[in-house]
Amino acid sequence: MDTYSVIPIRFTLNGDKVSIEAGAHETALTVIRERLSLKGTKEGCGMGECGACTILVDGKSVNACLMAAPQLEGRTVMTVEGLGREGKLHPLQEAFLEHHGVQCGFCTPGLLMSAQSLILETPRPTHKQVVEAISGNLCRCTGYQQIVDAIQYGADKTGGEE
Amino acid sequence: MLLPKFEYHEPKTVQEACRIVGELGEKAKVLSGGTDLLVNMKKKLIQPEHVVSLSKIEDLKGIFRENGQVKIGACATAGEIAGSEVIKDTLADVAEAASVLGSPLIRNLATIAGNMTSARPAADLPPSLMAYGAKAKLVKASGERSVDLNDFFTGVGKTVMTPDEILTEIAVEIPQEPYGDHYIKLGVRQALEISLVNVAALILLDGPEGPIKEARIVLGSVAPTPIRALSAETVLAGQVPSDVLFERAGEAAANDSKPIDDFRGSAEYRRDMVGVLTKRALKTALDRATSR
Ligand SMILES: Cc1cc2nc3c(=O)[nH]c(=O)nc-3n(C[C@H](O)[C@H](O)[C@H](O)COP(=O)(O)OP(=O)(O)OC[C@H]3O[C@@H](n4cnc5c(N)ncnc54)[C@H](O)[C@@H]3O)c2cc1C
Ligand code: FES
Ligand code: FES
Repeated sequence: MDTYSVIPIRFTLNGDKVSIEAGAHETALTVIRERLSLKGTKEGCGMGECGACTILVDGKSVNACLMAAPQLEGRTVMTVEGLGREGKLHPLQEAFLEHHGVQCGFCTPGLLMSAQSLILETPRPTHKQVVEAISGNLCRCTGYQQIVDAIQYGADKTGGEE
Repeated sequence: MLLPKFEYHEPKTVQEACRIVGELGEKAKVLSGGTDLLVNMKKKLIQPEHVVSLSKIEDLKGIFRENGQVKIGACATAGEIAGSEVIKDTLADVAEAASVLGSPLIRNLATIAGNMTSARPAADLPPSLMAYGAKAKLVKASGERSVDLNDFFTGVGKTVMTPDEILTEIAVEIPQEPYGDHYIKLGVRQALEISLVNVAALILLDGPEGPIKEARIVLGSVAPTPIRALSAETVLAGQVPSDVLFERAGEAAANDSKPIDDFRGSAEYRRDMVGVLTKRALKTALDRATSR
């Protein structure tokens, strides 16, 4: 059926203004990944359980698979592509490399976004706070320890830069 | 994964939202945080022709304390409730319950209205709010009503709400007496887990040193709706608090529960845990009441 309305959506994505028309049945995830071709944000379960689709909306980490596309209207969105700059990784990304926080990499963008959300609020998180902050992100490879180390180390380095 | 197709509505006021759901009735579903609705739509459990989003209605946001009451807007998220100074000061166990709901990612989307209206037996926010006798404000085009949460849930996924009503606010009267509360959720894992048993306890004292004036105990996950452990409340009323008394109240609460066996745990284990957790929740509630 093509009678369903198409909705204009304007939002800020990684610092740039975006204006797009989306069907209401699209999710924030499909808009970012399929329509805007930012492939860092992954679809794992599509049901809020794995965190592969984690993005920041107004600085808070959320599951992009559980947001209807029109809910992006007027919001400030950050995906993993907004974390580093061309040729220069963000300290969190460097820390994931140095501390072996990446194996297959499918969970990594989501974990980086949860980590970024944490350090925006808590620049020097404790071990417990890190574990809590990533509890909505599944990793089937690493066993998490390397990821937790990487986030704590990356937080220290991020703080050091500012 | 796309959603089934639907017509999208984005009212800016409660009146406009009420008019839309009033006209569309069963054909429409209200969208708040979407963590329940969108999952059910993706699973094709429901396919509404119309979705009415509340996210543009400013009046439904925020948490306030006024005239001896705490008012929580329908669209307040679990994350906002867990972090709210007003809630932590006045309704500590509501903040506790909000801080263990789902995951940090879910908490930044999930709202209090959605948690009430979806009416899951294991939902985290109803037990502590029921202990306080919180009231849900339900608004429709032709008027509004206020329903005590103790009379709100009617079965798994069922409430007294009609399709033309919108839940706009949860209001809690702050007790006059010295009081203390505690919420405990028992799951198999730390995060992303529906609970096996959840217990909320509230103690009101007769004066700072006094005996227990009234106690309320609410159990989740052990019946189709959250339930009051009334015989445990009777055990406690008017008594001087002690470990022995709390033990007896725990036993009474275990008898009040009607848990089921499922893959998460047996009925017997759940009933035992109701006893243990009730006792534990009462102890902390008493500590909080005496130090207030
Ligand atoms: C991965 C995952 C983990 C979860 N873990 C937990 C958990 O640990 N504990 C827990 O309690 N829940 C959990 N949930 C369930 C869910 O997140 C919560 O119940 C949440 O509070 C629902 O709120 P929402 O705003 O997302 O609701 P929505 O999905 O927006 O709405 C839910 C229902 O309520 C109706 N509705 C919403 N707001 C209104 C309103 N104002 N007026 C009238 N009708 C309304 C909708 O039409 C819909 O039928 C989990 C969900 C997921 C996906
Ligand atoms: S894809 Fe969104 S949580 Fe799994
Ligand atoms: S590195 Fe493979 S899922 Fe985490």
